[in-house]
Amino acid sequence: MILQMIKKQALLLLRNPMELLLLLGLPILLIAILGTALGNIMDGGEIDLQFKLAVIENEAESEQVAQFIAKLESGNLPEEVIEELSSTAATVQPVATLTDVLQSEELEELIILEKVSPNELTEVTEDDSYAAIIEFPEGFTYELLSQLFLDEGRPPEMTVYHNEGAEIAGNIVEQIVTAYQEEYTVGSFLGRNGIDPEQLKLLSTDFKQEVSSINQHNPVNSKAYYTIGMVVMNALFMAPTIASIAFREKQDNIFDRMILADISRWVYFISVLLTGMLFAFIQSLVVFTFAYIVFDVTWPDLAAFFIITFFFALAVGGLTTLLTAISYRIHSERIISFFSGVIVTIFAFLGGSFFPIGENSAFIQRLGDLTPNGAAMSAYLSIIRGEAIMDNTDHLIFICCFALAAIIIGVLTFPKRGAAA
Amino acid sequence: MLELIDVSKKFKQNAAVKSMNMFIEKGEIVGLLGPNGAGKSTAISILSSLVEPTSGDVKYQQKSIIKNPVALRKIIGIVPQEIALYEDLTAEENMKFFGRIYRLKGEKLNMKVQEVLEQIGLSDRRKDMVKTFSGGMKRRLNIGVAMLHDPEILVMDEPTVGIDPQSRHYILQTVKRLNQERQMTVLYTSHYMEEVEFLCDRIYIMDKGSLIASGTKDEIKRILASENTISVKADYWNDAFIEKLKANPVIHQMNVEEKEITFVVSREVNIFTKLAKLAEETNVSLNAVDVKNVTLEDVFLHLTGRALRD
Ligand SMILES: Nc1ncnc2c1ncn2[C@@H]1O[C@H](COP(=O)(O)OP(=O)(O)O)[C@@H](O)[C@H]1O
Ligand SMILES: [Mg+2]
Repeated sequence: MILQMIKKQALLLLRNPMELLLLLGLPILLIAILGTALGNIMDGGEIDLQFKLAVIENEAESEQVAQFIAKLESGNLPEEVIEELSSTAATVQPVATLTDVLQSEELEELIILEKVSPNELTEVTEDDSYAAIIEFPEGFTYELLSQLFLDEGRPPEMTVYHNEGAEIAGNIVEQIVTAYQEEYTVGSFLGRNGIDPEQLKLLSTDFKQEVSSINQHNPVNSKAYYTIGMVVMNALFMAPTIASIAFREKQDNIFDRMILADISRWVYFISVLLTGMLFAFIQSLVVFTFAYIVFDVTWPDLAAFFIITFFFALAVGGLTTLLTAISYRIHSERIISFFSGVIVTIFAFLGGSFFPIGENSAFIQRLGDLTPNGAAMSAYLSIIRGEAIMDNTDHLIFICCFALAAIIIGVLTFPKRGAAA
Repeated sequence: MLELIDVSKKFKQNAAVKSMNMFIEKGEIVGLLGPNGAGKSTAISILSSLVEPTSGDVKYQQKSIIKNPVALRKIIGIVPQEIALYEDLTAEENMKFFGRIYRLKGEKLNMKVQEVLEQIGLSDRRKDMVKTFSGGMKRRLNIGVAMLHDPEILVMDEPTVGIDPQSRHYILQTVKRLNQERQMTVLYTSHYMEEVEFLCDRIYIMDKGSLIASGTKDEIKRILASENTISVKADYWNDAFIEKLKANPVIHQMNVEEKEITFVVSREVNIFTKLAKLAEETNVSLNAVDVKNVTLEDVFLHLTGRALRD
């Protein structure tokens, strides 16, 4: 029965070329316009994620290495061991390694690194043109080497400052630093089990790779950005479209016919949910496929892509039932036009469909992620940069909760019996 | 077979139906007659289990259907007052969809759809979208959709409103045929008394939410048995004639038109000599004086003092 209902809805939608054009043609047109027009403003067709990073080293690394070797020599270790450790230590330069990675070819489009002397710290902190600052405390390398080779003390920590207005950059630096420190913790484990200089070298290459993957090796270009933005926005329109068909069924007494045919109202309700969901899913796939063919928007992880699309479609299905239920309850289509006229625009704006609105403010980013489209967009952007789906569980859980809440409120609102006449 | 027992329905303060009693037996065509807003559609919605009454009961084969309407829903077909169809689907697609929701499928569904399309005379237009149909064709399809599951009772809510005379005739004939050939029970709602008079065995007359008369056609007309409706024709009237006629206490419900005056008068009065005398006195030359057959319209006028249609 539900299948029949969905088939009939599909037929009704297909008979409405105007609506189809709005649902499928509009997003494609908008991707083309926004992707091209704004893309150029956004620096060569790519969203500008390049930022300035200051590195402050409070004590020269080479001096600290020398200091460490001196300490080794004055200790009571066997001569051989001292010899070996000294030569290895001379090759381990954690600060230099990190700055090398940050200045590597892979990251040069993303990060402009500047070494700053310690007495300029306040000045740099107040300078808005720096997105973030990494500060290595005094004795950092010395302490790290002691930890690594002699298992003495605790691993030292560097301090990361980031500018209020540069959430994304701050985030990236934060992740780099965490990855870096993790590498050296593993290193310290190695240290306790005998030192192999080869392994240490490997360690630093590993780290380099990890940093590269964190940092959107392939930055999101504007076509991809707007493909995602427009899909999540236009999929929202599927909800009022289907809800409006459903409301017309009530107005035209067709819903009454179903009730008289002893079709449960909940069967009807579920058919609305599934229709909204299925059509939003198909609509998203059509636009994404088009973007893939024409704008070359590709996905590194297709499974992750489908998971996000599925969850988002579920949210659209939930919205469809909610709008249907409210319109049935208040005997009016007002809520449906209010949703498509006002709420979709607000959601799309907050969610970042028009421009990366959350980039400059953690608050707006968080607010945007509290819209189903915003959460889906964040998840899509994350996986298109090469991050794993597991890094997006919070978004997925939110979308799922949103869908459930919409469905539950819909169930509670949907008129129970005898509301017809 | 199906009955309303002391049924009332209030919409907020507005009493749409007031303690109404009604029954329908198998094989009858029952008419429900009343002006717009009388409460006919509301009564039908209650009777068909779509709306719960505020008080009273609805019974199908002695069992209340208010809490358990399944048995009734299987055997009742409702033709709603408004066209309840998908404008963007073809006649056939509409039929198939509504057949499916009555759990018909496969070959059985196809055959039934073709059969009904023929009955309502839309076979040759079955591939056309409903939005291209005339009012009459939509009405016919609206009826057809309600017949797919072979209902025992067909309830029709003003099925001929706003359509051309041919379609109207066609519909009336179809209803009559269904009743005669298949013993289909019909409840026919209308505010056209001619239709009800033509089709129905028994009639309920409703006004302002209440039944004001019920019975067979003859029984209802006998309400007016003690009176005659008289029609007087002339080329012109003068004021004196009209004034004197109006002043006569035995005459009531007088209606004056350009060349015809109608009024109701008790049978016992010999009106013809009175009229002849009056015409002579006032110099009006009468062309004709007739005793009209009693119509349901007259009954309604008699009972409510208002015409059925305004
Ligand atoms: N759903 C409703 N809500 C409020 N009032 C209604 C509703 N349906 C009908 N009414 C009122 O009940 C009265 C009877 O209406 P209805 O049954 O449609 O009459 P009819 O079919 O005889 O024209 C009217 O006054 C109408 O306004
Ligand atoms: Mg009505």
